[in-house]
Order: sequence, then C-alpha cells, then structure tokens
Amino acid sequence: MRSTLLSLSLVALTYEAYSQNTCATALNVGLGVHAVDAVNGTEPLPVSCATNGNPGTLAEWYTYTATVDTTIRLNTDVAGTIWVDTRVHIYTGTCGSLNCLAGDDDSGSNLTSLVTFPVTAGQTYTIGFDNRWTTAGFSFELAYVQPAPPPPPPPPSIISFTNVTQGVSGSGYCVVDMNNDQLDDIVGTSTSNVNILYQQANGTFQSVNIITTPADHTASWSIAAGDIDGNGYNDLLYGGGSGSTFMMANNTGTGFTEVSFPNYIFSQRTNMVDINNDGHLDAFVCHDVDANVAFFNDGNGNLTFNQGLLGLTCGNYGSIWTDYDNDGDIDMFVAKCGCDPVDLLMRNNGDGTFTNVAPELGMADSHQSWSSAWGDFDNDGDMDVLIGASSSGYHKLLENNGDGTFTNITAGSGIDLFTGQSIEWTTHDFDNNGYLDILGGGGLLMNMGDMTFVPNGTFPGNGPIGDLNNDGFLDVYTSGTIRRNVGNDNNWLKIATVGVVSNSNGIGARITVETPSGTFTREVRSGDGFRYMSTMTAHFGLGEETEITAVTVRWPSGIVDVIEGVDVNTTEVIVEGVSTGLAAQRDEQVQLFPVPAQDILTVSGLGSGQVPVRVLDATGRLVLRGNLLNERLDVSGLTPGAYVLQVFTPNGTTQRSFTKE
Amino acid sequence: MRPGVHIGGELRLLPLMLVGLLLVQGCRKEREPEPEAPTPALPTPPAGDGVYFDATLAPYQTLSAYRFFTGALKDQAPNSGVLPYEPITSLFSDYAKKKRFVWMPPGAKAYYAGDHQVLDFPDGAVLIKTFYYDHVLPNDERRIIETRLLFKRNGSWYFADYVWNTDQTEAYLDLNGSNTPVTWVDQSGEQRNILYRIPSAAECQTCHKVNFDPIPIGPKPQNLNSDMTYQDGVRNQLEKWVEMGYLQSGYPANIMTTVRWDDATQPLDLRVRSYLDMNCAHCHADERHCNYRPMRFAYNESEDLVNLGVCVPPDDPIAPEYTEIVARGNPGRSMMHYRLTSTDETVRMPLLGRTIAHDEGAEMIREWISSLPGTCP
Repeated sequence: MRSTLLSLSLVALTYEAYSQNTCATALNVGLGVHAVDAVNGTEPLPVSCATNGNPGTLAEWYTYTATVDTTIRLNTDVAGTIWVDTRVHIYTGTCGSLNCLAGDDDSGSNLTSLVTFPVTAGQTYTIGFDNRWTTAGFSFELAYVQPAPPPPPPPPSIISFTNVTQGVSGSGYCVVDMNNDQLDDIVGTSTSNVNILYQQANGTFQSVNIITTPADHTASWSIAAGDIDGNGYNDLLYGGGSGSTFMMANNTGTGFTEVSFPNYIFSQRTNMVDINNDGHLDAFVCHDVDANVAFFNDGNGNLTFNQGLLGLTCGNYGSIWTDYDNDGDIDMFVAKCGCDPVDLLMRNNGDGTFTNVAPELGMADSHQSWSSAWGDFDNDGDMDVLIGASSSGYHKLLENNGDGTFTNITAGSGIDLFTGQSIEWTTHDFDNNGYLDILGGGGLLMNMGDMTFVPNGTFPGNGPIGDLNNDGFLDVYTSGTIRRNVGNDNNWLKIATVGVVSNSNGIGARITVETPSGTFTREVRSGDGFRYMSTMTAHFGLGEETEITAVTVRWPSGIVDVIEGVDVNTTEVIVEGVSTGLAAQRDEQVQLFPVPAQDILTVSGLGSGQVPVRVLDATGRLVLRGNLLNERLDVSGLTPGAYVLQVFTPNGTTQRSFTKE
Repeated sequence: MRPGVHIGGELRLLPLMLVGLLLVQGCRKEREPEPEAPTPALPTPPAGDGVYFDATLAPYQTLSAYRFFTGALKDQAPNSGVLPYEPITSLFSDYAKKKRFVWMPPGAKAYYAGDHQVLDFPDGAVLIKTFYYDHVLPNDERRIIETRLLFKRNGSWYFADYVWNTDQTEAYLDLNGSNTPVTWVDQSGEQRNILYRIPSAAECQTCHKVNFDPIPIGPKPQNLNSDMTYQDGVRNQLEKWVEMGYLQSGYPANIMTTVRWDDATQPLDLRVRSYLDMNCAHCHADERHCNYRPMRFAYNESEDLVNLGVCVPPDDPIAPEYTEIVARGNPGRSMMHYRLTSTDETVRMPLLGRTIAHDEGAEMIREWISSLPGTCP
C-alpha cells in the first residue's frame, strides 16, 4: 500500500532529475521534500559523519544555504513514501575540504535517518547520502525545527553524556593511568603497537605511539593492566583466541617487549591479581574451552604457567576478583556460559588453595552469563553481585548477608523488569550519589539507594571506564569516542593506591571512605566486565556530603592505613604503610648525593621520617625495597652499577637514577 | 573429575595442566617449529604390511606406524581396508583440501542411528582426515600440513593429530596446537597467504563434542548418501560401506539427504541449509558448545526459518547496526553475513577452523538473504 502511495505522491513532490553525483554538481535545495532517484553518484563522501563505519562507495550530493540563524531538521521518513535504509552526512566547508557537522544512520523509524543541525544565515552546507546499506531511492525533508519548550530538569540521580571524538589506534582498549600522574589515559593495542593517549592537566590528550616487539597474541578477547615486574609502569596482558601475551613496559614506560607462552588458551576475561598473596602481581586468564590458566610471578622476572588450580571445566567467560567473605584474602567469581555454564565462586583458603563454594551459596546455576558486577550496592561494607544474562533471559541480584551467604533479591528490584542482555556487566557510580550503578544489557541502571534500579535515559555504551577529564565523574571510552559524563553537583573522591609490601598497584586493596552520612567501600581491580580494562583508581561518589572522616585502606599484605584530613573532590595517592602521613613535597625537590654513591645515599627534599622506596637495577629488576630514614638509605649491599631509585610519597612516584661505586 | 577434563589423558591434556616453569626472558615460542622425531617411536609395528591399529596403544608417535597407507606416505594411497569417503558438503577450513578415510577392525561394523545422527561406530574404528594445499609456493607443489585421527576405544572417541615434516616423509603426534604460514596460488590464480592453525586437543574438543564427550561430526547418513568414485567404479557411499562390511545393511531407503552447497542445480535454500549444517551446526545445536544462542542450524532443524535466525534480533548488541541475525532481503543488516565475512577472531563465524573468509560461501549466503521476500518488522 505504501508503494502505491509513493507513486501517487511523486506527482506532488519537487522532483529534481539533475545529476547530484559529485560534490561539484551538488544540487542546492531549499526547505521541503526532495526525491532522490538512487544513490549512485560516483564521488564517494570524504568521511562518515554518522555511525556504523566507512562512508560507502557511492553518494548523492546536495547543498543547503541558510537564510536565517536556526536549526534544521533533515529526515528520510517522509509521509507517503516507503521506508528506505538511508544514512546522511552534513558538512561545512567546500568541496575538497569538507568537515563533519552532523550525521545520522538509524534515528528515524525503520532504519530511516533523522538529524538536526544548527545553521548560520548565508552559510552553505553540504548534504551527502551514501550507499552503506542500499542504493535505493528515497525522499528527504528539510524543515525548521520548531522551538521546543525547555526540557524539565532531570532528576538529580539521572546522568547524561556527551560525545567527544577521540581516536586511538588498535583495539583492546584500556582507560588506566600509564604514567603515574593520577590521570587516566587511553590505551589502544595491536600486534606491534601500543598507542597511549596521555591525559594532560588541561584535559587534552597527547598521543604516543609505541612500536613493540610483535605480539604472538593480540588483545582480541580482553585486556588487563598492572605492574607485573614492579618497575613502576603498567604492563599489559593480551587475551587472544589461541593464547595470551604479556606486553612488558620498560623502566621508563616508553617501550614494551612482548612475552608469550606456547600454551594454547582460548582467552576470555583476563585479570592481574596477586593470587597467592606473596606481594608479586600474578595474572589470570579465563579459558573458554579448557581449564582456567594462571601465571604465577616469583618477583624475579619469572612467570610460571599453571592450569587447573582455578576451575577445571570449560565455558569460563568473565572472572572477577573480590573478597566476598571479608576475610582479607581475595576470592574469584567466574560467570560461565556454553559448554559448562555452571558458575564458580572460588573461595581463597588463605593457603594458596581455592575451594568452589558456588554450590553451597546458591550460585551454581546454569545461568548463561559472560560477566558479573560485584560491588557494595547497599553500602553496608560487603560485596553484593549482579550476575547479568548474556542469553538466558534473566538476571540475578544477590545481596551479601555479611556472613558469607547471599540472598536473592532480584524480585522487585527493577532488575527483574530489565530485559536487556549483554556480555558486559560492570558496576560504578556514574552519578556520584554514593550508590554503585550497573552498566550492562545495553543500559545504565541507576541505583536508587534502596536496592532498586531504574534504567537511565541515556546509555553511554560499553567500553573501559575512567575519568577522562579529571572532573570526578566517570566517563566511558567507546571506539573513537569518549562518552563524557556531564556530571552534576555531587561530590566525589578518588584514591590511587601505591603498594610497597603488596603489589605496586595495590590491586586487591579494600578501601573504605567514612563520612558523617555513610560509609562507602571499593576494591582496586584489574579487569572487570568481559573485555576492557577500566581505571584502577578507586572512585567514590559522595552525594551532597562535604566531609570525609577517614579513609581506610586494607592492603593485601594485611597492612591497614587510616588517613584523615582528606578533602572531597580531590584525588589522593595513598602509599602503603605511610598512614602517619608526610608533608607533601614537590618532586623537583628530590635530590640524590653523593653520586656515585658509596654506602649511604642521601635523598634530600623529603624531610624527616620514613619514606618508602625501591631500587631497580639496570634491567629493571627490583633489588632493594625499604624506607628512607631521615633522608638516608643504606645501599652498601648493592654491587657497583647503575640503578633507579623510586620514591613513593603521597604526591606519587618520583624516580631518580644513580650509580654505585 | 569431570570427563571433559581428561578426555584422552594420553593425548596430553593432563600434562598441559601440570605446572611448567617458563622464564619471562627467553620463552619466546617459535612460530613454525619443525616437528621433532620422538625417540623411541613406539610401538614397533609387527611384521606384515596390513593396517596395524591397536586401540590400547594408540595414539602412536608417528602416522606411518599405523600403515594406513601403502607406498610413499605422502601419496596417501589407502591400504587394504582403508576406505575413502567424502561428505556431500564439507566444512570450510581456510581453503585447505582434505582427504578422508575410514578403517574398522576385521568383523566390526557401524550401525545406522538416524538420518541426522553420526553412525554408531564400533570400538576400534578410526576416522582419518588429511589437510593439504596444492600449488604451495615457492615451488608450486603440494604440501600436506596435518592428518587428524578420531578413534574409538571402549565406547569413547579420542583425538590424535599428526603434523607433517618438511620432507613430507613422516607426520608426528602433536596435540599442543601450533601455527604454520602457508602461501599458495588459488583456483583463480591469486596468491593467498595465511597463518594456518593446527589445532590443540582443546580446540578439537570445542567442535567435536556432545556435552563433554568427543564425537565425530561428518559421517552421518544425511552427508554420505551420495555417489563417490572408487578405484572400481562409482558407488553410493553407504552401499559401498555395506559392501566393505563397515555398515549393517537394512537402513532406511529414503534418507533425508543434504545437497552440495555449490551445486547450482539445487534449490538455494537447500544449499544454504546444507552449508550451515556442516559449518555451523556442530556448535549451534543442543548439548554443543554454543547451545545457548537461539539458532539451530542442523539440516533437520533448519526448515523453520526462525531456527536460521530470520527476523531474530541478536542476543547481544555487539554491533547494533546488524538488527537481525538474518534480516529479510537485507544482508547488510544481517549479523550472519557480517560474521561469515569477518576475520576478526572475536566476530568471525565459525570461531575456530578459519582465519580468512570463505568468499564463495558468504556470497551464497548474501544471495539467499537478498532473496528472502518482505522485511523484518
């Protein structure tokens, strides 16, 4: 019936039979309906301004010249015409130097396009349609957008995002601090490349492309980051389809060398975590088709392949490391799917062994899930969990009872009404109201504070999560675009951990922020959700709270630091074992003498007291770990040679090189 | 311990699970290790020249030890009792060519178990499949890459894989998996380069299994009910198996049979269903690796277009522009076409067994989707 209408209505349309096949022959059109006979112009569009890939191979070209300053709406869902799967791109500039202004693929009904764009009187805009989906003809309409009434102010717990274009080469994305400046950077990886976009203090990014030795396996399935060799710079772990590759950072974070193992691993989620709690960061890889894999680190540069300690059967998709029973050692949950879909909860027995307690805790069901979101949803000091579906059709929200057991509270939580499914499920506080929200199932589920969840109007997409403009609100990096959190008036706190006895990232540390209005708990993790690597800086939304009573860090080593006097809306660096605090010193003040050193190295500029330090040799191996005492370090045990001294203060890590005679 | 963990304990899965020390420095793996001759090569075959297969001693260290072939090993001339067979439509494996053989112990035979079920093979049965390329550069010659075995012992199937040496004189047992580059000239005269994947035991198991138990995939009546040229003439394969004593006679006369996917005289929908059966149904079926997704691609399940994903939205929004698994009339919006043409290892389908796209197969799928009338709601 619609096609009949089309032929009838064509009579009434302004039909232009000219060729609109190149930019130079673009047809200038005014407001109203215009028919396009077919998308067959031989000059393709220079760049896509819309989603879903390249600009196609054929195009139709139009221009529009504005007569007033206003906003124009273009749509291809014109009454009386059939629906056609169009894509449109709007440019400023002239042929040969066109710049994207706007674009759209599918915002109209039934895959038609709908886009609005601002125009300035006297300016000419180029409109291009491409053949990404079809060459079929269609009609489009240009109209002024009627001034809309101002939208009602959003409720305070609902958050919005804006798009900021920010490309990074490769895939296997991380949002993590790679240069110890407490600013989250963006990382993209490929076989012989690590592209780091270093976040600058002014909010821009500096792109550094590092050529690496070729990786046997790329991060096609997942990526994790952490400082495996303790040299102060994050290494990367690529989870590939037939094996895993470590990409080891050098002692200045400026180069990477790959290390691969010959073992076949169908890698899924990867993590870095100190599995045996010996102070050295280990790694874990979910295996899709066989028993899970761990790489144990002896602290001297040796990694040992292990298979079978942490789950014996196939179907391992999403591992996440969390201390579910609050006993101070780290446990692991694996969301499973496919060939053996029965989920695992591996309780750490504290002696290097693990026991699967999923059956006794009601978690050993055949839920088809690729990841799970663990966090303290109700701020009662223990880790609750949402096990999100990938295809089984239902999600499970479990409340931690605080005694090592869980209660299924899905019914009535709002989770039971949410039908979206996905392979990614993570939890972070996006609106900084103090309650962890859930990203998954193609939606952002806002935690209303009473263990109920409501879908947010805007979904930022899936990708690594971190603070990409240092405003205290968490952003999401999707391919080529930062989904920047617009934020609100809520307060926040970020904590970066530096382990000294524990692994240097402080992965596995439990951080508690105490305030007059409540207590908030986070864990430092490497690897959540299914695929990406999100920030290791712990993030706390504080709502309207302006006062922080104390910050407590319980380190994997068992050391507990309690820090007072922390201000809201700041990023604090907490170094393991320095809870007495040291006066903040600027890094430039740190000086070493005498150089070459003999038995005692003096490190000036830090004042009296103890300051944790490490010494690395020329190959990056840790040779000394200890404390400066009143600016002095005993280096009499070191053999002559070149060394790097790392000094950990609340300001971060300072490095100085020196030689020993 | 669950059976899936120690399938073929001899087949090196358990050794894989043992802790092995590997140094960060100096543990780079070689891309193309030359298979080393294990010493000693056990067992020592007894005198004679017939097939020597003892299921209790298998897998042997070398392919030649079984005496499946006579003459030069690389000629793959079957010994007495070693019968070639060929499924009507075969799995795409990066354009590798394949030779398949079946052998059974004297007096043993398989039984019909259903048109769409793998034949019920006897203990001691061996399925042999050799993967090779012709016109391999630089010398424009045949290169045999690997020969895979599936053999049955005490009611269970076991894997073995033999990797051929450069001289093409022997193949050595290796179930650890490896990669080897292959450059050849294809049918159209184009030079093709791939990094061919020789599977590990765990990769074999991913496709060849029901629940946790290894199984064959191809030898079903639906795939074998076709003519084949033997040394002594053209015969229906099932009839030939009966004649060899390898199949009990009396199976049904009217077998629901697949068609050659590239036989243009056959209806397009049957070609597509045959192709999807052989390339996809080993995972997308009940009790198989990807049973949790809604598609059901087995030939006897795919008459229902919903099982093929027609107008079914994907479970997961990994690429939102692909609005349906199969969007009627619109391959560009169909997840199936996207995955069949992708080489991204997290997107491509099948996930295992190919690194490049099967252009001709994907083109047929594109034609079929384009031919589906109407649009999805």
